[in-house]
Amino acid sequence: MSENLTSKIGSQQKAVNKSGLPFDYGDTKITILPRDPICIFAYWSISSGFVENLKRQYGREVFNDAKLVVRVYDTTDVMFNGSNANRYFDVFVTSDSNSWYINVGEYNRCWCVDIGYLTTDGKFICVARSNKIDMPRYGVSSVTDEQWALLKVEFEKLLKISGVGSIGMSSFDVSKLMRERWEEIVSISLPSSHSHISSLSSFKTHPSYVPQQQPKEDKSKNFWLRADTEIIINGATEPDASLTLKGQPVKLSADGSFSVRFYLPNGEDKYTIEAVSADGTMKKSITFEVKKDTK
Amino acid sequence: MENKGYWCFQLHAHLPFVRHPDYPDFLEEDWLYEAITETYIPLLSVFENFVYDNIDFALTMTITPSLANMLADPLLQSRYYAKLNKLIELSEKEVLRTLNLPQYHQAALMYEQKFKNCKYIWEKYHGNILNGFKKLQDEGKIEIITCCATHGFLPLMTNETAQRAQIKIAVKDYEKHFGRSPKGIWLAECAYTYGVEKFLKEEGIRFFFMESHGILYATPRPKYGVFAPVYCPNGVAAFSRDMETAHQVWSADSGYPGDPDYREFYRDLAYDLDYDYIRPYLHSDGVRRNIGVKYCRITGKVPLNEKQPYNPQWADNKARMHAENFVFNRTKQIEYLNGLMHKEPLVVSMYDAELFGHWWFEGPNFINYIFRTIHNTKSCFKPITPIQYLDMFPTNQVCQPSASSWGDKGYFEVWLNPKNDWIYKHLHKAADRMVEIASENRNAQGIKQRALNQAARELVLAQSSDWAFIMTTGTMVEYAEKRTKEHVYNFTVLYNQIKNNNVDEGFLSNLEYKNNIFPEIDYKVYIKE
Repeated sequence: MSENLTSKIGSQQKAVNKSGLPFDYGDTKITILPRDPICIFAYWSISSGFVENLKRQYGREVFNDAKLVVRVYDTTDVMFNGSNANRYFDVFVTSDSNSWYINVGEYNRCWCVDIGYLTTDGKFICVARSNKIDMPRYGVSSVTDEQWALLKVEFEKLLKISGVGSIGMSSFDVSKLMRERWEEIVSISLPSSHSHISSLSSFKTHPSYVPQQQPKEDKSKNFWLRADTEIIINGATEPDASLTLKGQPVKLSADGSFSVRFYLPNGEDKYTIEAVSADGTMKKSITFEVKKDTK
Repeated sequence: MENKGYWCFQLHAHLPFVRHPDYPDFLEEDWLYEAITETYIPLLSVFENFVYDNIDFALTMTITPSLANMLADPLLQSRYYAKLNKLIELSEKEVLRTLNLPQYHQAALMYEQKFKNCKYIWEKYHGNILNGFKKLQDEGKIEIITCCATHGFLPLMTNETAQRAQIKIAVKDYEKHFGRSPKGIWLAECAYTYGVEKFLKEEGIRFFFMESHGILYATPRPKYGVFAPVYCPNGVAAFSRDMETAHQVWSADSGYPGDPDYREFYRDLAYDLDYDYIRPYLHSDGVRRNIGVKYCRITGKVPLNEKQPYNPQWADNKARMHAENFVFNRTKQIEYLNGLMHKEPLVVSMYDAELFGHWWFEGPNFINYIFRTIHNTKSCFKPITPIQYLDMFPTNQVCQPSASSWGDKGYFEVWLNPKNDWIYKHLHKAADRMVEIASENRNAQGIKQRALNQAARELVLAQSSDWAFIMTTGTMVEYAEKRTKEHVYNFTVLYNQIKNNNVDEGFLSNLEYKNNIFPEIDYKVYIKE
């Protein structure tokens, strides 16, 4: 790990339009957050007034070739006062950057950072000091509790079935699973108008699904035609009457009208509409006989 | 049979607060409406039937404060009711249309019955299904737990007072909806970081859930792995997830929900039917989007147009078989663990609630058969809630758990990466400023008090972990960015007005009307101690 000590995971230019929000708040400040057991995210801002003051204090020429650095202190088990860190390393950041991902190279430690300028003669001018963070653990602790000790072999068996080998599997898997299923379906489906975005599912279960353009088919080989039939029966009766169609109750609109559609299969079929008045004393019916013959 | 162990089933029900009274029809509100029809009501219905049939069951369920606020909101309730009635109208038409399509007719009848059952339950609780869940809790059947107020991601907050406020606001809100204090909490995204147990203890919360490695990497090493809870040094208990049960349900190869007899999620009626016929059931823009009526089964690895008709009876049989298999596997697992541990193990299975019903259509029925199987077969383990467990086994190992989450890779990267890291500068500043103005105005009255309360609402809404999550997953990023910016912007305007003693009442009133989460919020939770 140690050769990676100062390796940076990189900061990315962000083209996010943050309209309505200030670019920064005029502070001179650095903040760090743990991303995982090995990586810290640092973001900072340095006000121009602050830099001006430094230049007046140290002399303008000192800053001509000074480099902007994040100095990373290992503060594990110490009350950090700026000079008693276990060790430190510097990460050189570009002068126009305002955030950086830093690989700290060692697990299970506490960290604090400074943002500042490193002058050509090796002097570090601190601009701001961050909060302190204690990283998420990595690996099973070697510390045991006598009262709660278990035989080593038994503990190892327990660890194994506790899933120590599959850390990082998560509910996120479900979204991956959903996406894979969708991609599989898309990959084997014919061109169609299906685009299947359900809003909850796109939020909860599948990341970055965008309906994909199907590859253009060779038309001469895949010429196709589809046709099918439905039948729509509509009409009206007294608004308070009750109506059945093929024996099934049909809801009437407020004005007594109705419209029902059926899939129309091949063959002959009868559609009997029957209306009964609200008091049950009067009855009318109409029957359509329909024949479909596909050729 | 002799009891050999315990099984704790935890469902996390959550949606971010999405409510747009200024638009008659808003796409993202569908998250809630779909989840009510497909998940929340079906689950409630399953639980109520357990009570009716005298089936022993015990389960734990988060209803997050943001979800509870939406479920209790009259505007969203009336919008849902209108949507549900439209679905019922469509399902009735479909029953007729499919009379000549016997292969789809059973599915059409099923949907009609399902939607009408939703309506029955909805009306039974006068549009507030929270009362259904509350009733089950009052009867001692389920344990409802709370969550961070707006699903705020605690490990990436730098201001302790703001972390604590996420808990305090949540607890107050829980008391309002459920008539007692919460005993447990689901930390948003199962994300634990050092020290948050202090805030839990202050509020009387006795336990929280963790991802497996949060306990496995604890110091000292946990004697029983994930199969017993541990106490944080301050006495709050942490329960962690068993991976085997997680995989059994969700694994790509062997997971249950991909069975060919289960309903195909991706073949929706909205795309199959004639446009004029389906148009009245789409959003006002008339774009075809899923409406949640689907007549096909997964079938196998076939194109969408070769999906076979759904057979409700086959699917029901499979749900029962899978539930029996799940119970059988728990029996084997618990017997094995019992031999290894020389005590009763506790297996904790936790899932997003919305995955049951919304994605895995048969999921609620699977849960139904699990508890019925356990009850009827007199199995060697018992379902239990964390509180029941702690009351029975008050002696547990004391460990310092590791910071962790249940997100991809197990830590915080889903919520902190180049797609979303720009938000933290603003969120941290707003939190610091909220503490500043609250501490400067310890006894604000009148319009200033209202402005401080609304500033607190805007801050917590901006802190919702869902926005960072969506930015990472890449779907509907624009909405998530807009929400983040809008709430930070609203907060900042209020902050400046409060600082300058010139609160604009029109601006404030409009925000109170639009972003009305936590009507009883008290900004004083942000006063620095």
